[in-house]
Amino acid sequence: MNIALKFWSGYVRATHRWPIIATIVPFIPVVAIWSIVANSGMFPRAFFPAPVDVMRSFISLTYKGILPDYLQDSLIRLLFGAAIGVALGIPLGILIGSSRLAHRICWPVLLFFQAIGDIAWLPILLIWFGFGLTTMTFVIVYTVLFPIVLSTVLGVQSVHRDLARAAQSLGASPMRVLWEVTLPGALPNIITGLRNGLGYGWRALIAVEIIVGTSGIGFMMFDARRAGSTVEILLGMIVLGTLWYIVDAWILAPIERATGQRWGLVTS
Amino acid sequence: MKTLSLKNLRKTYFDPYAGSQVTAVQDVSLDVEQGEFVSVVGPSGCGKTTILNMIAGFIPYTGGEILIDGNLVKGPGPDRGVVFQSFALFPWKTVLENVGFGPKMRGVPKDERDRTAREYLALAGLSHAADRYPNELSGGMQQRVGVVRALANNPAVLLMDEPFASVDAQTRMTLQEELTRIWQERKPTVIFITHDVAEAVFLANRVVVLSKGRVLDQIKVDLPRPRVWDQLIEDETFKRLSAQVLQMVRAA
Amino acid sequence: MLVAPGQKVRSRVAWRGMNSLVGAALFVTPLLMLVGIWAIVVPLFNVNPRIFPSVGSVAEAAVAAIGDGSLIRHIGASMLRVGLGTLLGVLVAVPLGIAMGVSPAVSAFLTPLFRFFSVLAGIAWIPIATLWFGYGFGAIIFVIFNAVFFVVAYNTLLGVSTIPMTIRNAAASLGAGRWALLTEVLLPGALPNIVTGVRTGLGFAWRGLIAAEMIATNVGLGYMLFVARDFYRTEVIVLGMIVIGVLWLFIDRLLLVPLERATIERWGLVRRT
Repeated sequence: MNIALKFWSGYVRATHRWPIIATIVPFIPVVAIWSIVANSGMFPRAFFPAPVDVMRSFISLTYKGILPDYLQDSLIRLLFGAAIGVALGIPLGILIGSSRLAHRICWPVLLFFQAIGDIAWLPILLIWFGFGLTTMTFVIVYTVLFPIVLSTVLGVQSVHRDLARAAQSLGASPMRVLWEVTLPGALPNIITGLRNGLGYGWRALIAVEIIVGTSGIGFMMFDARRAGSTVEILLGMIVLGTLWYIVDAWILAPIERATGQRWGLVTS
Repeated sequence: MKTLSLKNLRKTYFDPYAGSQVTAVQDVSLDVEQGEFVSVVGPSGCGKTTILNMIAGFIPYTGGEILIDGNLVKGPGPDRGVVFQSFALFPWKTVLENVGFGPKMRGVPKDERDRTAREYLALAGLSHAADRYPNELSGGMQQRVGVVRALANNPAVLLMDEPFASVDAQTRMTLQEELTRIWQERKPTVIFITHDVAEAVFLANRVVVLSKGRVLDQIKVDLPRPRVWDQLIEDETFKRLSAQVLQMVRAA
Repeated sequence: MLVAPGQKVRSRVAWRGMNSLVGAALFVTPLLMLVGIWAIVVPLFNVNPRIFPSVGSVAEAAVAAIGDGSLIRHIGASMLRVGLGTLLGVLVAVPLGIAMGVSPAVSAFLTPLFRFFSVLAGIAWIPIATLWFGYGFGAIIFVIFNAVFFVVAYNTLLGVSTIPMTIRNAAASLGAGRWALLTEVLLPGALPNIVTGVRTGLGFAWRGLIAAEMIATNVGLGYMLFVARDFYRTEVIVLGMIVIGVLWLFIDRLLLVPLERATIERWGLVRRT
């Protein structure tokens, strides 16, 4: 048998047993090419550092405790903002989704404010609240809120009318219908909204940390930019990408699938 | 004893596409005795589903009245159990939780309502599926759950809206036979909406034929029970009654 | 109920026409109400114009900015960047995505890579883009390009790889060659995903644009907002925010959503991501 085919079949079997291999192996050639280009002298090393340099900077920044601290700051900001966004977004979405009048009034306003986008709020927020946590939290709440509200509304509306009727004819009060039918029925959509919201949220966080920041991964990257340290920018990007990949692919996406699939609600 | 009584029931609504008032139910009066099984047939657009939705309390009626055990109907309530064509099982609840939903709403403790639910599941031969989710069952099994879920709540009237229209022909016959068996055991009062004439005759004590929002005629069905398709399919009375109802529906 | 069929159809069409007008009116009314509240609240509580502007001062700012041509210049710069960056991104991403998606093995292998980069798309590239290209046009185009590129490429890859093998086989057995397979099966089959990808990518790109313009340039809507902040000109900031909101509403609702709907609903395909 051809040696390449044999190797390929071994790879396929290995990925079948340990799916994580399929996630990691494709990055090996990318890192290799990156390494070759960086070492070839095509670009100045300060401008285009090699993987080794990034690794070295990762180790030293972790050892000094700067990277873990910044990462923690960023994550806490994101989680804090997201928690407020969820707490506001789900009730609002249910209200708008279940009342036609509320929908008529709120839907255009929602779409408009979503269209303005989080980052465009920064200048006026800086005037109102200055450079600080309030500004950052406001932006993240704003970012997370809209995807959650919009998809909660869709979720509430997607619950089949007969389900609410069935619950009513079995004696459920309006509050019980909300709790037993509307909320679980909208849950897959709510989780999709949360996933999208967090996706936008951490991007907004990076932008805010760049402009407002005194700490955090975004600040680290832009601080490095000011100092001309490409290594730390790349490090920041890799940390962000890896972290979000893990959160999204291994936590959020499986939850999204789990809620929808067993119930047969998701058509993917 | 009259369990359900419709008096000069009427329903009109505004159709935005046509731009005018449309009469869905013109004038329907009907009395149903306790423990009676009444089938309602008619061509599509005759208002049969509208009537059922009004009895269930899902939509308001324009004129006349609906009485359950002498009480005027205002909105949905547990005295009228509904079996839907779309099954309407809660996808996020197991079969057991679905059947126990009605008792749960009445505040029955978990042990007791689980016992009740299991008892009704056994009645429909579904004991083995108690812990599964609706999505994991076949259409026929889902509708069995739909029927016992409504029954487990002990309603005064069981309202069934073309419940077997979305299952395959084989399963439909089995479900019909099971329904007559369960009816004989429990004697619930049933209003059964269908457009399938043979189904209407097979199940009912009385068939009501609707046309253009009015009761066209009613026919008593005195076939012996238990009813089984293998016997009835050759039965002269069954054939004659079915032909009679079919003629009325087609003329409607 | 007793209407002649032809008559019913005509009134239905008339109703549809009315419907879209009524729909537009219903959409705008709540927004006008909001402006009304704004017009009442600001003078009522005597809000400091350095905190929040009055409706009148924003209107004046709008007239002034249109009059001296600066608003048009900022909008033009922003739209040019988004348009060019998106066009480049889509033009490179779609052929690449299709090429990679043709073989199931290749697409399975590359999916994590593209997922990683589409996760990183947009704002996170601003620091390195400004370092590589300097502050200005190049850096911003680069940020928009890669926000669109990775998301569209990933979605195209996904779209092509989810086209059932039976459809490809059917086309092949009906005599489709390589080129016909590409234009008649793979491209249309992946189109709903491509459109969804463009919509998501543009969403990231638009935010990336505003952020990048605040950081790295001297013209554009983001810059207009950020400079106004230095002088506490809240009326210019609010004007800019309204312009950004309206522009995006137009792009998204009048261009992207109908496009998405046309491809997805028409063909009875389900949105996959």
